[in-house]
Amino acid sequence: MLTYYLELAWRRCRQNLWMVALLVLTMAIGIASCMTALTIFGALSGQPLPGISAHLYVATMDARAAVDKDGDAYSPASLLNLRDAKALVDAHKAAGQVALTKSLARVATLDGTHAASQVLGLMAYGPVLSVLGVPLRYGRPWTPAEQAARAPVVVIGSQLAEKLFGTADAVGKSVAMGKRDFRVIGVTASWKPRTAFLNLAMQSGSALGQPMQYFIPVGAALDGGVEPFTSGRCEGGPVITFQSVNVARCRWMEAWFALPSAAAVTRFDRYLTAYAQAQHAAGRFVYPPQARLYGTRAWMALHHVVPNDVRLNVILAGGFLLLCMVNVAGLLAARFLKRQGDVAIRRALGASKRQVFAQHLIEAGMLGLAGGLLALPLTLLGLWIVRMQPVGYAPAAQFGVGVFLVLLVLSLVVGLLVGMLPAWRVCRQPPALQIKVA
Amino acid sequence: MDIRPILSSLRKHRIPAFLIVLEITLAFAVMLNAVFLIAQRVDQMNLPNAIDERGITVVTTNGVDATDYAGAITRGLTALRGIPGVTAVTATNSLPLTHNAWEGGVAGKATHEHWHNASDYFMTDGGAKALGLRLLHGRFFTAGEYATASIDHSYASTGHVVIITKALADDLWPGQEAVGKLLYTAGGSYTVVGVVANVLAPSITVNGGAHWYSSVFFPVKPGDAVSYFVLRSKPADRERIKRRAIAVLTKLEPAAVIKGYTFSWLRHHYFADMASMIWMLALVCVIMLGVTAFGIVGLSSFWVTQRRAQIGIRRTLGARRRDILQYFQTENFLLVTTGVVCGVVLAYAVNLFLMSRYELPRMPLWYLPAGAVVLWVLGQLAVLGPALRASHVPPVVATRGA
Repeated sequence: MLTYYLELAWRRCRQNLWMVALLVLTMAIGIASCMTALTIFGALSGQPLPGISAHLYVATMDARAAVDKDGDAYSPASLLNLRDAKALVDAHKAAGQVALTKSLARVATLDGTHAASQVLGLMAYGPVLSVLGVPLRYGRPWTPAEQAARAPVVVIGSQLAEKLFGTADAVGKSVAMGKRDFRVIGVTASWKPRTAFLNLAMQSGSALGQPMQYFIPVGAALDGGVEPFTSGRCEGGPVITFQSVNVARCRWMEAWFALPSAAAVTRFDRYLTAYAQAQHAAGRFVYPPQARLYGTRAWMALHHVVPNDVRLNVILAGGFLLLCMVNVAGLLAARFLKRQGDVAIRRALGASKRQVFAQHLIEAGMLGLAGGLLALPLTLLGLWIVRMQPVGYAPAAQFGVGVFLVLLVLSLVVGLLVGMLPAWRVCRQPPALQIKVA
Repeated sequence: MDIRPILSSLRKHRIPAFLIVLEITLAFAVMLNAVFLIAQRVDQMNLPNAIDERGITVVTTNGVDATDYAGAITRGLTALRGIPGVTAVTATNSLPLTHNAWEGGVAGKATHEHWHNASDYFMTDGGAKALGLRLLHGRFFTAGEYATASIDHSYASTGHVVIITKALADDLWPGQEAVGKLLYTAGGSYTVVGVVANVLAPSITVNGGAHWYSSVFFPVKPGDAVSYFVLRSKPADRERIKRRAIAVLTKLEPAAVIKGYTFSWLRHHYFADMASMIWMLALVCVIMLGVTAFGIVGLSSFWVTQRRAQIGIRRTLGARRRDILQYFQTENFLLVTTGVVCGVVLAYAVNLFLMSRYELPRMPLWYLPAGAVVLWVLGQLAVLGPALRASHVPPVVATRGA
């Protein structure tokens, strides 16, 4: 039956080509605009590290060490003093823990022939590679002993290794960073989170994740004059260049914890609260600490990682798709009603209402799929236009298999939905009256 | 024209009529809100800014040796002043539209009543000229005031004088002369020595609502925290001066990361995503109107075909072509009007929703009649073709039994 209805629909489509073209084009434009907006929204609002960040939590507390002249108001803050960050990591209360901050440095070969300026990386205390799931290609991560001894070691990204040494396998070589030489002990595959989620408190601009090109233990980095990207929040005055003298009076590290179960989260939350309370009681934190864990997504939502424009675009595109659907429903109604005569004959020959309904719904679904097919190049065009825009999230406009599947399902659903009302309308009239009209 | 026959005829085509009304409703609501979003952004992009935007080149330094920061800034200023074509230089802590917000509370009374958020700008000697500030009342800072003030541990000025924008003066002391008054901040009090034309904040969203112009200027000697070099020149010289300035500073500070921009570029960069959002919204509006128009054309054509017999009978009974034309035009007007009435409700509901989620103001009332007119015109244009075709149906059709 299905193939017969499909054949009928195909025959009918050939009868009134410009009308069919208009229907399909309208649906395609609606679907394409919706898909473009959804693709960008999806890329920005998902997990930054699929399979890993869902279990990552950031510790927040009011860690101000002096009365704030700007007021007592507190909004959840993740930046910690190095001392607190180390204490939380050293406690080993979670499945994995690391304190980190973004860092910007110039990295050069020792002979100075090859250099990369403004390279972004992470300064970390703890096993940063395993907690964030950064894949290692060569070598090894630093050991707790190296970290404790403040050994000048560094793990670099494969791209940086290629740029400096012409080969990805740079293990054993040394690089000049800050005022010192660091030995390369490991090389990671190129790695970047899908969206920004580290150091959001100091974030401005792009919602997208940036590639991290080096991972360096924080102690050795500070000794060697490698500095964090920003000096964070500092007590007593502006800090323009971050130096070891400022380490103590600034809050600039973030502590992240891998907590794989709800029970682990509850347990860790209790520990965190107790730790912060103890610091408050000891007089180090002047305000009630209000310690709290935030999951990755909740933390991103709090910092509005997805720009408002992107959300507005989704709402607008949704409204636009709805309008296109109503439009197509109207045109379909006209199209179906024009053929009341055919329907009357079919009904008189014994076709049930349900069969007539199904026949018309199948035609609508077919048009919907055709709209989806046409929407494919239009979506690609839309994403291309977005990529050409000077906006921070432009690189998120990428077409993928997932997008294609969503598009196919969406177009079929749209086709069936818009066909529903007209199909119901056309099968409703009694056959006798329709024959008379015919 | 009697509308009763139109209504009873529409009752026979409830579903297509309902769909047209729904389409108009949606188009009205979505279009009005999209246009409102466009208008908001255009307003913000056109905010005037009373500095010499066309003559300013900005150079930033990052990674200057901190042991002698003040000396580095002083040397930099001297070197930049020597570039041919540069008429004035200064170093500042921030600039309008750079996202680098230095926020502080200010008040007009010692009791700190009516606390306002303001953006703090610190500038070294020559700042007024380098930025091209326009003095409205009072005076600029003296060389002595520049030479003695610095920035203290709580980001406040250690000086005693301040220059404020007209907008802030009007907010703090409405209807009074601001020059000579004391401005209170968390760090102390400062005598207002001058009032300048409105200068934008580093970020126009930061002070909340419409406080784009709550800016205050303090004098400062070269030192910590002033990391923007500002050079003023003729607009045509800026590119050359930018390159020269980067070269000059690189020589002085080989280890630092030095970047240069014209202020026009900074403004363009600040508003880039806003501009692209405007284009996207406008594109959607145009396509949406097109889709709506095609929908009306399609359904009207269908009605015309369906009613050929009736039209023929009406023509036989004496209806003129104009009557038939008017019939379809009136029908379209009724449908669009119904859609617009429903659309008003939906448009306001969407606006309220967006207000609650995205800090948008309320849509002005005049948008509603304007939107209605647009859709009426669109509807009439769309129906014109099918209606004309209907008016050319010959009376003889009636005798052929459809």
